[in-house]
Amino acid sequence: MDVQAPETAVVTGAAGWLGQNLVRDLLADGRRVRGLVRTDEEAALLEVAGRAVETVVGDVRDPATLDRLFAGAAGATVFHAAAVIHPAGRTRELFDVNVGGTALVLDRARRAGVHRFVHVSSNSPFGFNPHPGHRFTEDSPYAPYLAYGRSKHEAELLVQQAHDRGDLATVIVRPPWFYGPHQPERQTRFLAAVRRGRFPIVGDGSQRRSMAYTGNLVHGLRRAEVAAAAPGRAYWIADPQPYELRAVLDTVRAALRAEGLAVTARQPRLPAVAGRVAVRVDTALQAAGRYVQPIHVLGELGETIACDVTRAVDELGYRPATTLLDGMRASIRWCLERGRAL
Amino acid sequence: MTRVGTDVLVIGSGAGGATTAALLAEAGRTVTVVEEGPWIDPGAFEPFSLEEMARTYRHHGSSAALGVPPVAYAEGRCVGGSTEVNSGLWHRLPAELVEAWRRDYDIDEFTPDSLDRHAEALEAALSVRRLPGDLPPSSAVLARGAAALGWRSVEFARVFRYGPDGRAEKQTMARTMIPRAVAAGATILPGCRIDRLVTRPDGPGSRRVVAARGRRRHDDGSVGDLVIEADHVVVCCGAVQTPALLQRSGIRRGIGRGLKLHPTVKIAARFPDVLDHDDVPPYRVTEFSPAVAIGGSASRRGHVALALADSGVPFAGALADWERVFVYYAAIRSDAGGRVQALPGLRSPLVTYRLTDSDMSRLARGLVHLGELLLAAGATELYPSVTGGPVVRRVDDLGAWWDALTPARANLMTVHLTSTVRLGQDRTRTGADSFGSVWGHTNLRVNDASLVPDAPGVNPQAGVMTIAARNAEHFLATT
Repeated sequence: MDVQAPETAVVTGAAGWLGQNLVRDLLADGRRVRGLVRTDEEAALLEVAGRAVETVVGDVRDPATLDRLFAGAAGATVFHAAAVIHPAGRTRELFDVNVGGTALVLDRARRAGVHRFVHVSSNSPFGFNPHPGHRFTEDSPYAPYLAYGRSKHEAELLVQQAHDRGDLATVIVRPPWFYGPHQPERQTRFLAAVRRGRFPIVGDGSQRRSMAYTGNLVHGLRRAEVAAAAPGRAYWIADPQPYELRAVLDTVRAALRAEGLAVTARQPRLPAVAGRVAVRVDTALQAAGRYVQPIHVLGELGETIACDVTRAVDELGYRPATTLLDGMRASIRWCLERGRAL
Repeated sequence: MTRVGTDVLVIGSGAGGATTAALLAEAGRTVTVVEEGPWIDPGAFEPFSLEEMARTYRHHGSSAALGVPPVAYAEGRCVGGSTEVNSGLWHRLPAELVEAWRRDYDIDEFTPDSLDRHAEALEAALSVRRLPGDLPPSSAVLARGAAALGWRSVEFARVFRYGPDGRAEKQTMARTMIPRAVAAGATILPGCRIDRLVTRPDGPGSRRVVAARGRRRHDDGSVGDLVIEADHVVVCCGAVQTPALLQRSGIRRGIGRGLKLHPTVKIAARFPDVLDHDDVPPYRVTEFSPAVAIGGSASRRGHVALALADSGVPFAGALADWERVFVYYAAIRSDAGGRVQALPGLRSPLVTYRLTDSDMSRLARGLVHLGELLLAAGATELYPSVTGGPVVRRVDDLGAWWDALTPARANLMTVHLTSTVRLGQDRTRTGADSFGSVWGHTNLRVNDASLVPDAPGVNPQAGVMTIAARNAEHFLATT
């Protein structure tokens, strides 16, 4: 059973990877979108998506910016997608944006009197699965992984508190690693590295990874907006089943070939211990407030991060339609159409 | 040389020590209380005055936990301890924290209900009540700002009696628990500093305290050695001095680590109208609790000057207008932990506390929340305790504080230090059992803020006294 979606959606992080996909999906349904973006350049890029999009330029940590974003937003849906995943050098930014920004957006949403608050969270508040066959469910205990995990964990607690004390109807959506159009440079580099045989498998590659095609994820967010059972709940949103990491890389290679690109068959490997060392180095660096992206990514590569989407299927009516191969192909085409070198 | 024999020796006379002494003495035990600081007649000094700081605070009020940034803190050092110098704010321990601590530290008989029973008795004894009449202007600022933003806020009670003339009298330990202890036969010895406890083996893996050694300053100013022999010793010197004394006595396991405090930022806010300045506002904003607590600080002229100076920008105009300026704070629950270490040859221990990135971010958030509240309440100028400011005059300026609040520029303080011993049955995380008995010792207890397992997010006096009363009752039932 669904409730009626309001005409207007407020989207933070609207020019981001997920935001771009979400805004376009909303506009295609005739919705009005008010999007928070960081710069005038981002505003211009987003405004080409349609006439029904209105941008507010500013910082999610800035009360005055949020006053503009929420002016006259009574009854709208909020999709809070603004967050920092890979900070530039220091971990402080993770807490400023992911926790502080969320606190301020929640407060503005409550004051504006919005329809629902759909919060984009992450797998990181839950760390790694204990073994490759394990799946996170919505009942899994929090075990935040490093600074990003702690920041997203604290943000989830704020969102849940806002619901539990009657401020807002909130829904928490937890996507793992996602893929799809409007991807950032780091994902383009990932595709290029796989194509050129430079992306390593850590260990034997049997560790599992849940992934979410942006189109599937947008569908999940839209279901969270209207499903009657959703308020106060959290949902894992990902492709139906986790993949073995080596299968992900095989599929990326198949997708590259299907888009007419020559692909090397070479697959570099690193011993599992490399991942464990990276975790230790990353932990030590982050304890000192420092963030080094390649070490962080390497640390996660050796582990299983897999979730079970049963609750989303049952309660939200979540029906992910796009397969890994098709999603990767869409992602590759998007790069090629924009002349990105793979 | 002074030699004293007693049934129970209580070291320290603050919220923990005075409560312990009163309850044990009233149950018929022979109790001696030693206090390093002097006896000060309650009301002898203007509250929050510089003279009061110089006479009743340790180091005349200027201590700091080392770290980047350092955190300034204050401790009372007189009969009654910090209850003589604090604001007399009374907050029961939040029930959800009590539950969490019981689980995390495996604390026996530690439930909100069991603690509330002790809290109620203390509230009756101390005269815990709200301010009569309308909110004073400094509190009304918080209420007005919260109402404008739709934030939760609450007027809270304090340990005050109000005379028929409306005169308020803070019910400090020197006015309440200490007289009760004395009336029940306890001996109070001010000017006595205990340097170390002498322990002897007492069965396998166990020791007992046979004496406390220290120095006594007599009324004529002369100083002599002091030895106290007691059947039971209860250390109540606060979260800094208690672990230091235990460490100097060779007791180190689980002692001195895990120091918790509430790092606090301040804003000196200027208003169009004159505010009251004699008192601390008994009002706080709980919208962002327990992560961030917002309230008002002591704001006499000197405090206003100090707070303005913390902004590091020219403030002569605001200071000349000080009657329209009031100091407000945002205090956070911190992810970091600190450490107290007694160093050989030094009277004062080394106190270190390193704030995490998440703490610095939470402080910045607190500053932004507080700034928004004060502007909504009609403030015209906000001077943050961040060197270089910037001074904020409208909501559009607030966002700049996020990046301004760095470890190098933040001027932080705290008055709530806790958790350097911690109680509970999980011996890997505690220095004392569920009722404050120091692990590995048969007759040694701790009963003060050191036992509180983590930062309570509110003023800890009520929590410290409640836990002390609970442990005193357990002592009487079992010893």
